[in-house]
Amino acid sequence: MTELGIKRFSSLVELEGMREKLLNSRSASAKSIHVCTGPGCVAKGSFKLYEIFCAAVEGAGSDVQVQAKCVGCHGFCERGPIVVIEPGGIFYQRVEEPDVAEIFRETVLGGRVVERLLYEDPNTGKKVEKANEIPFYKVQERIALSGNGLLDPTEISDYIAEGGYTALAKVLSPMTPEEVISEVELSGLRGRGGGGFPTGRKWRSCRQAEGSPKYVICNGDEGDPGAFMDRCIMEGNPHSVIEGMLIGAYAIGSEHGYIYVRNEYPLSVERLKNAVAQAKELGLVGETILGSSFSFDIRINRGGGAFVCGESTALMASLEGRPGEPRAKYVHTVESGFRGKPTNLNNVETWANIPHIINRGGKWFAGIGTEKSKGTKVFSLVGNVVNTGLVEVPMGITMRRIIDEIGGGIRDGKRFKAVQTGGPSGGCIPAEHLDARVDFEELTKLGSMMGSGGMIVMDEETCMVRVAKYFTDFLQKESCGKCTPCREGLAQMLYILDRITDGEGQVGDIERLEELGGLLEGTALCALGKTAANPVISTIRYFRDEYDAHILDGRCPAKECRGLFRYEIDPEACNGCGICLKNCPADAITGEKKVPHVINQEKCTLCGTCWEKCPFTAVLKV
Amino acid sequence: MPEDSEIIEQIVDRYDGDDGMLIPMMQDLQAESGYLPADQLRCLGRHLRLPLSRLYAVATFYSSFRLAPKGAHEVTLCMGTVCYLKGSASISEAITREFQVEPGGTTRDRLFSFQAVNCMGACAVAPVMTVDGKYYNGVSPASALEILYGLTKEHVTADKEEQT
Amino acid sequence: MPTVTIDGCEVKVKRDATILDAARKAGIWIPTLCYHPAVPSEATCRLCMVELDRGEWKQLVTACNYPVRRDIVVYVSSERAKKARRGVMELLLARAPESQELKALAERMGVKGTPYPNVTDSQRNCILCGLCVQVCEQIIGKAAISFAGRGAERTVAAPFRQPSEDCIGCGACAAICPVGTIKVRLHKEQQEVEISPFKSRVKLLVCQECGTPIVSSEVSEQVLRKSQIDWQEFRELLRLCPKCRRSQTSARLRAASVYK
Repeated sequence: MTELGIKRFSSLVELEGMREKLLNSRSASAKSIHVCTGPGCVAKGSFKLYEIFCAAVEGAGSDVQVQAKCVGCHGFCERGPIVVIEPGGIFYQRVEEPDVAEIFRETVLGGRVVERLLYEDPNTGKKVEKANEIPFYKVQERIALSGNGLLDPTEISDYIAEGGYTALAKVLSPMTPEEVISEVELSGLRGRGGGGFPTGRKWRSCRQAEGSPKYVICNGDEGDPGAFMDRCIMEGNPHSVIEGMLIGAYAIGSEHGYIYVRNEYPLSVERLKNAVAQAKELGLVGETILGSSFSFDIRINRGGGAFVCGESTALMASLEGRPGEPRAKYVHTVESGFRGKPTNLNNVETWANIPHIINRGGKWFAGIGTEKSKGTKVFSLVGNVVNTGLVEVPMGITMRRIIDEIGGGIRDGKRFKAVQTGGPSGGCIPAEHLDARVDFEELTKLGSMMGSGGMIVMDEETCMVRVAKYFTDFLQKESCGKCTPCREGLAQMLYILDRITDGEGQVGDIERLEELGGLLEGTALCALGKTAANPVISTIRYFRDEYDAHILDGRCPAKECRGLFRYEIDPEACNGCGICLKNCPADAITGEKKVPHVINQEKCTLCGTCWEKCPFTAVLKV
Repeated sequence: MPEDSEIIEQIVDRYDGDDGMLIPMMQDLQAESGYLPADQLRCLGRHLRLPLSRLYAVATFYSSFRLAPKGAHEVTLCMGTVCYLKGSASISEAITREFQVEPGGTTRDRLFSFQAVNCMGACAVAPVMTVDGKYYNGVSPASALEILYGLTKEHVTADKEEQT
Repeated sequence: MPTVTIDGCEVKVKRDATILDAARKAGIWIPTLCYHPAVPSEATCRLCMVELDRGEWKQLVTACNYPVRRDIVVYVSSERAKKARRGVMELLLARAPESQELKALAERMGVKGTPYPNVTDSQRNCILCGLCVQVCEQIIGKAAISFAGRGAERTVAAPFRQPSEDCIGCGACAAICPVGTIKVRLHKEQQEVEISPFKSRVKLLVCQECGTPIVSSEVSEQVLRKSQIDWQEFRELLRLCPKCRRSQTSARLRAASVYK
């Protein structure tokens, strides 16, 4: 923090003064290279790109005003690694190491655009220079993700320069805790972790609850497979989460905060720890914050690898150093939560929305979205869709717009079959409901749920029974095993699903699954168990014919379930190259060179090697 | 074992002896030893005045803890929804078949420990496998086996990329 | 005092009493397995499901831990509540098919067998209610056993699945087990007591007169630690089995000619 030339802010005025100083020190002509370090880009080697850019900056000498910084996830993971050059916002995609020198020479030093690294709009065939002109970004509205792609998450000065901690300052003077809660209530913000409970009402109950100390917790245990929204916020803009928690703590009357981060996200832990340390150093976290009488400390805790810890009471048990087993919520956690004390828990995205609500007003936030679901929601759009990535859209947008306009439709020209929302305990929504509006109530009505925001698109070649089995298997492994229906019921459901996908389904299996589903919903102890049958129930509801095909005809319509389809060689397409024959581990393929080959069905083990290897797609699933 | 005791004391101090931080402490301990040896758990329990059964319950509840030594390399395969839909189950089967190791286990020659995890949040490049922290994107059963056969030959830790 | 109306029968209970308390007061039977008054209710078995009237809708809740804070209306014998309890019992019967205690309870509930096969076998005939774990930690103060693993793999075990170092052989776990899975076995020749299935063995104090086992030595020490008893007096008490002590006492009394 020596760069800032100050040790600790002891008043709001000092914070404002620093912001002005920071803004003045940044010359308008200075160039900035933003290298995306979101999980998708990192997996494609963006840290290395960052290093090379840094070396290039160093080599350019001190008379060139340029800086390279790693920024949080831009969202367009499909096209990563992403590098944006500011000012101008020139958006380069799929950047590889050899491209760095060219970008630096042409764009940074020369002010010219490198055409070939720009995104090409598939609709018009034109190259697009700026992010907001790309269809993927056009429909989006970014609030929680607004700092991503812009800020260096490791530098608090970046956050402060962009208006960070102004909401905290506003809250500390002149707002009362009551006013803060009213503002959040007015915004209509509902919990982004899955339940959708009104945030303001939760804060109010916690403030009114008897007992002390009170705790504020941030749930960063993003366990849904296929979801990485919270990860990108924690890693891309950790201070927004911290500022949100500070505001919440002030409103509730808490001095102790915890952030519980999933074990699989070590970079999130590192970035948050760094951010908390920086905020502490500046007097934004800790004792007598900004010279006020408000004190609040934050500790970072890591999970141990258990999906169920996303459930609030399980998370609290884990924070207490115990196995993450949920407990009954007949007495709410705002009354008796962590260590038996009043506890307010919200998830990462919820907290990240708070500074914006305070800065721009609850009324502004309530102006976005639908009647009962306000604001925006971040989704991770993944699966068989052209543009995978992280998207933030206003509530109420249709599923079709997300998938077609942002997602660019289905990959490889295939047909859409279903979209799975709400994480493993969510449901699958079929094509006939694609025009449904995305909000809490609508998704629940369709047998799915908002969940934390995973959105997995599936094409026509996906077997829905297998999808149901995958999620049931996942949940069965992740069930804590505390209560009978979840532990035993899921095992029984999985047993039946195994039987069906093995071609040994029995008449009555569907009804048995439905009965078990009803039992789980009614009698399981926690939300994980109560919703665990959703994948099965929703696929039975919309894709019952696929279950019937498996059970009654011994056939998998999507040709995914081994044993419920055969491989055959199309004699028209086969030119007898012999690749399949050579690769078949069971010696089940025969045929002379240059003559169509044949699969001996009795010997075939259905491993699929021939299907994978055939260069002429002459091997068919029938 | 005085050395053990010293390490454990350091870890306990790192979290101000707060038993709520038991999971991070056990993770730090595992990072030191590669797994959680019974004696070290016993020692940690004594420092925190927690019964051994509590530490054992925690160690067996959370999937990141190991009670047996791990292999020279760490292989992690993502079984998240997207990776699964793109074929990670068949990759897992192939690894189990070729190296006789189940997810969660270690090969008999201690060459590598094999873990199947829920979601690594890199769905855009599925299926994903990491070896000693290095990402391999869009792997297939064949390419995964090739990577792992590479380990047999190398027998040295692969370059640790600067990533998570 | 709030009023609980159970199947039309009104009963007043103290605030924060449970629906189960109210039902017992009203003489209405609700089957339970994981409930025991000695330890806090964890509601793991889910057998005591009843239907709570919330006005606009009805919700299934567990009677053993639902706290009564205002006047409520509850149905124990509604179709939905009965169906829920039957479903849970069927799953439990599939899990622990050999437990006579469980079969007897099922019969009392009118549940005849289970349509489900036995697919979970992490611990034979154990319904994983956790009463043994609770009593060992919260009442005895030893925490010799705990849950291990999770989900379908969950079991009750001593650390590392080895004979526990902390078990004192008191047998409280066996006494509280609702399905008769935990057993106390005496090994007279070795003068040891074994708690099955945890394999822990503890030395027994035996009667110095006749050799009958009295109590495990560890239990006697735990009792000394937890109570105000004079240790010399206590040791003297444990020298003989109750039978020999009686006969010695009567011999002493006879000698003192009390009953002449």
